[in-house]
Amino acid sequence: MRKSISAAIALSISATMIMLTSGPASADQPPGVYTVKDGNKVDDKTLEGWKTWRAMACERCHGPEQEGLVGPSLVNSLKTLSKDDFHATIQNGRPEKGMPNFGGVALVQKNWENLYNYLKGRSDGKIAPGHLYPVSQADAPPPPAGWNKPKS
Amino acid sequence: MRYEFRSILVRGAVLAAAAATSTSALADADLDSKISDSSNWAAQAGDYANHRYSTLNQVNASNVGKLQVAWTMSTGVLRGHEGSPLVIGDTMFIHTPFPNNVYAINLKDQTYKWKYEPKQDADVVPVMCCDTVNRGLAYGDGKIFLQQADTTLVALDAKSGKVVWTAKNGNPKIGETNTNAPHVFKDKVLTGISGGEFGVRGRVVAYDIKTGKQVWKGYSTGPDAEMLMDPAKTMTWTNGKMAPVGKDSSLKSWQGEQWKLGGGTTWGWYAYDPKLNLVYYGSGNPSTWNPAQRPGDNKWSMTIWARDLDTGVAKWVYQMTPHDEWDFDGVNEMILADVNKGGKAVPALVHFDRNGFGYTMNRQTGELLVAEKYDPQVNWATKVDMKTGRPIVDKKFSPGTTGPDVNVKDICPAALGSKDQQPSSYDPKSGLFFVPTNHVCMTYEPFQVEYTAGQPYVGATLTMFPTPNSHGGMGNFIAWDAAQGKIVWSKAEKFSVWSGALTTAGDVIFYGTLEGYIKAVSTKDGKELWKFKTPSGIIGNVFTYSYGSKQYVGVYSGIGGWAGIGMAAGLTESTAGLGAVGGYKDLAKYTTLGGSLFVFSLPEGT
Repeated sequence: MRKSISAAIALSISATMIMLTSGPASADQPPGVYTVKDGNKVDDKTLEGWKTWRAMACERCHGPEQEGLVGPSLVNSLKTLSKDDFHATIQNGRPEKGMPNFGGVALVQKNWENLYNYLKGRSDGKIAPGHLYPVSQADAPPPPAGWNKPKS
Repeated sequence: MRYEFRSILVRGAVLAAAAATSTSALADADLDSKISDSSNWAAQAGDYANHRYSTLNQVNASNVGKLQVAWTMSTGVLRGHEGSPLVIGDTMFIHTPFPNNVYAINLKDQTYKWKYEPKQDADVVPVMCCDTVNRGLAYGDGKIFLQQADTTLVALDAKSGKVVWTAKNGNPKIGETNTNAPHVFKDKVLTGISGGEFGVRGRVVAYDIKTGKQVWKGYSTGPDAEMLMDPAKTMTWTNGKMAPVGKDSSLKSWQGEQWKLGGGTTWGWYAYDPKLNLVYYGSGNPSTWNPAQRPGDNKWSMTIWARDLDTGVAKWVYQMTPHDEWDFDGVNEMILADVNKGGKAVPALVHFDRNGFGYTMNRQTGELLVAEKYDPQVNWATKVDMKTGRPIVDKKFSPGTTGPDVNVKDICPAALGSKDQQPSSYDPKSGLFFVPTNHVCMTYEPFQVEYTAGQPYVGATLTMFPTPNSHGGMGNFIAWDAAQGKIVWSKAEKFSVWSGALTTAGDVIFYGTLEGYIKAVSTKDGKELWKFKTPSGIIGNVFTYSYGSKQYVGVYSGIGGWAGIGMAAGLTESTAGLGAVGGYKDLAKYTTLGGSLFVFSLPEGT
């Protein structure tokens, strides 16, 4: 009985692809907190995190897929950067490396944790790059094809 | 245009002697005489008219294939190298991207005569939207002028490198920076401002060349007095003729106080007509990139301006892209040339705009003569209505129509335009214009943003890709007939041609490519005659000079700018639907960052 219930639960999870925690985490890295469905539909808080990323034009330095440009890859950084260090970096910037501080921006003050969770989801390979949609939006387009395939 | 000075060819040695003893009271006479000596390259465009043309013809179409490296030099700095050095007599003046070092080089042995290495706050770098470029120095009245990224305008004694005066031109804390070259016209130094992505209010400022005191400042948006507009006398093309702009022409075209964050920045290449005493330049995008937040035509962003040099008062204006929805900054170079229209020579202004249209204006009156696509695949507008002067927008490619949070696909050209700041060149022999272009399209999705001083105030996400259903490359180098508005010949390029062109009396055009090639092509048909691979991609402007009876051709090598390494690095991981395929991925195979100057000449005995 227990076995079949577990199997049923496992099947229903894989069918809808809802994940509640981040994937691979290093020993002392707590998981990001986000809900993602079909790669690009996320909970409201994570959506606000993505919108904060978008509004601050972070892609100008970190790339449209957080893969790095003149600034480092956040897909890599978020594997090891602690949440506190992330907060400090956003607040203070890294002036010697050309990153401004966002401490004075109301949107960032309000949403930095959501931004952290969004970026963690990107780093974990669970959230697709590009436009995100609310979990409830049934007619949202699919994420970019091949987004979660390993890069050759 | 070099008017009556064009026919004077003064020997370099004589000029050098004259410069040593010259105490010319008229600033314009100093630069005029330097420009009239074809052995110099005394202004960024070689002259006041943005021709980028040299009468030197030792290098010509028959022998350019033998061109070889004469000497080279590191600039000591990485990232995008725009603009070019200046050459006056036996001295070359080199500038660099941030931190904007200036070096005076002895052409005899390439040793440094002096160095100016400014101390600038590193906080400036994050508020430069599109790489840490600097478009170069200006010369006049015995001084070298540097427009620093932190908005400080500096006048250096050309012989000693000592600071003569400085002027504070803006405030980086509110997102204001500078990338443009200053321009010396008569007794004034003109400069602009950058920051259209930071809610900066654009303007052009004229400083006294001797003292650095501000003489006038003309804003691009806002009250008439601040724009130096006369409602009854400043004219604009209206229903087939020139008419006054009227009272509050800018204020009436914005909602509320959005004009204060209005953009209309001024970081391009200016021109000057000494006979008309008019300065010509273009203003950039209105702020934000989300059109829903700024209903109205958003005057006078995206505008060609003609201002009186002495007072700054606007004589005429013409807005090319009312209520912009694509970031088609109007700042590209204004070229002054006579164009044969209706059987007579019209004093014209020719401008290749980001929006993909090549404009020919009567530069005296401001009348619109020609507005035609210089890339046939431009699609955001079907054409320009020649009576109203307004583009006929195709709603299929209009992000403002579909509104925030809707992605509009396959808009051509991309935001970086059919041409960005990379300047074109004019050939007086053929009357043609030679234009380095981009062949790139985009998706564009606007969204709501709030303004915080000193923070990005953009409000759109874009992806860019080579123009579909074409040759697959991302650039063309073209020859343009500005009287008819027609492409005469077109040479496809793998990547956007992001460098400035130079045309010479030897019937050769030079330009650089993003892979790092400097190329020579024939003025007749664009056929490639010579090329050389420099260490890094080229986004600078090719220049030429002569020294010791030898002609030299030079260019900076150092990729960057908006099209450069950012695209290469960002778009190597191809993800369908986001970012590029093919072309941009390849760019990373050819180049990475660099910073050097290459100078070429013919071998001995050629």
